[in-house]
Amino acid sequence: MAEANGKRFHTRHLIFLLMAIAVVLPLIFKPGLPLRVTKEVQDIYDYIEGLPEESVVIISFDHEASSLPEMVPMAEALLRHCFRKNLKVCGMALLAEGTSVGDANLRRIGAEYNKEYGEDYIFWGFRPQHEVAILALGEDITREFKTDYTGRPISGFPIMQGLRNYQNVAAVISVGDGDIPIYWVNYAQARYGVNIIPAITAVMATTMYPFLQSEQIVGLAAGLKGAAEYEKLLNRTGLATRGMDAQSTAHVLIIVLIAIGNIIMFRQRGGKRS
Amino acid sequence: MYRRIPLIVCFIFGAFMLIQFFVPHRVSTEFYEMTLEWAQIIYAFALLVGALMLMKHHAVNATRKSSDDRPFSIIVIAGIATMCIAGLIWGHGEGTVFNWFFQNVQAPMQSTMFSLLAFFVASAAFRGFRARNTQAIFLLIAATIVMLGRVPIGELISPVIPQVADWILNVPSMAARRGIYIGIALGSIATSLRVILGIERTYLGGS
Repeated sequence: MAEANGKRFHTRHLIFLLMAIAVVLPLIFKPGLPLRVTKEVQDIYDYIEGLPEESVVIISFDHEASSLPEMVPMAEALLRHCFRKNLKVCGMALLAEGTSVGDANLRRIGAEYNKEYGEDYIFWGFRPQHEVAILALGEDITREFKTDYTGRPISGFPIMQGLRNYQNVAAVISVGDGDIPIYWVNYAQARYGVNIIPAITAVMATTMYPFLQSEQIVGLAAGLKGAAEYEKLLNRTGLATRGMDAQSTAHVLIIVLIAIGNIIMFRQRGGKRS
Repeated sequence: MYRRIPLIVCFIFGAFMLIQFFVPHRVSTEFYEMTLEWAQIIYAFALLVGALMLMKHHAVNATRKSSDDRPFSIIVIAGIATMCIAGLIWGHGEGTVFNWFFQNVQAPMQSTMFSLLAFFVASAAFRGFRARNTQAIFLLIAATIVMLGRVPIGELISPVIPQVADWILNVPSMAARRGIYIGIALGSIATSLRVILGIERTYLGGS
């Protein structure tokens, strides 16, 4: 038994080591595997590209700190596109941890494009109880967010002039690692008809496909791959593109491990029968 | 009477939220917006109660010398106290102590925990993902194709792999997901009606 436990211990650590190598080596050598842009991501790009200048876009940071490696490249790519198109961006968060991340992202990417806080972009802050917050924004934004993240009254900012509710919003981008983008579809899209752009983690992708087919969402950017595709459309290599090679090798390693595990099982079965 | 008041409040507000959806009158809209504000205020207080209960639980643990969890409880209390003090004294915007702790302590720690999943998934896949029966074989094939189809190397191996992966996500996976959603929706409607009509009373506590 002790020997068996010992063997298992070594196998597990060998797998951990192989995974570390599979992730680190592509990040060092950057093989640059070719990337295909999917229709779902292309649809988002085309929609934002087709918006008139100064259209208002809400970007909601509905994620926790644990999924930052997947969410930040996505948010950065979408924000760069919005600012490049001279859209007005209003940031907010429906999860407390997304607040600091959202504020930092908006300010950093806004500074890249020389955008002015309060005029070209604003960060409203965090609201708890996401269903209610989403519904409340459909009635009166200034009633839901009386002040911005820094505590200043939002009605005093030039970006808020003429912005009352979803009727004045071209799209809502939900950068989320859970099911909050679904709430945006259920409450903001179904009730108020606003266009929803979900930018989600790869594991949540399957939850959004029904809404994609029913055309309740503009498109779908899922996981690091979605972000990498967006970076390709923007002709700008970022964190996501660099990470895709590592994700490729990690996936291949898992498939190889599954194959080895199954070969071992079949050999053991064959041995028992004989 | 003690149990009737919450039932009456629940019925009035539940029925109102249901009816107001079809009544776009100014008074209805105004009351609806007020109700949304109340819901958020109640939620904020619920969060406060939750935080206080958490503190109470860990304070009891921290004072028990015999408890194995004592060091963890002390860390939880210290963490909450540090973030509260930092946020209340210096604020929470860019360049504050609160933000520094979040960006340099909490975010890296949580990201690290999440990243460890890759290692555990690899180990679990090796030990547990076996083709023991027909269903498991189908699951294995579908998982392999989707895993390859969602990364650039799949396209490099064969352009068919991403197409098959897209088909799996767009047809069988979505069909199952849609069925689940319809079931959830019907279940939500039934449960909501039971709560509004006072048939479902478990939210009041007790049996």
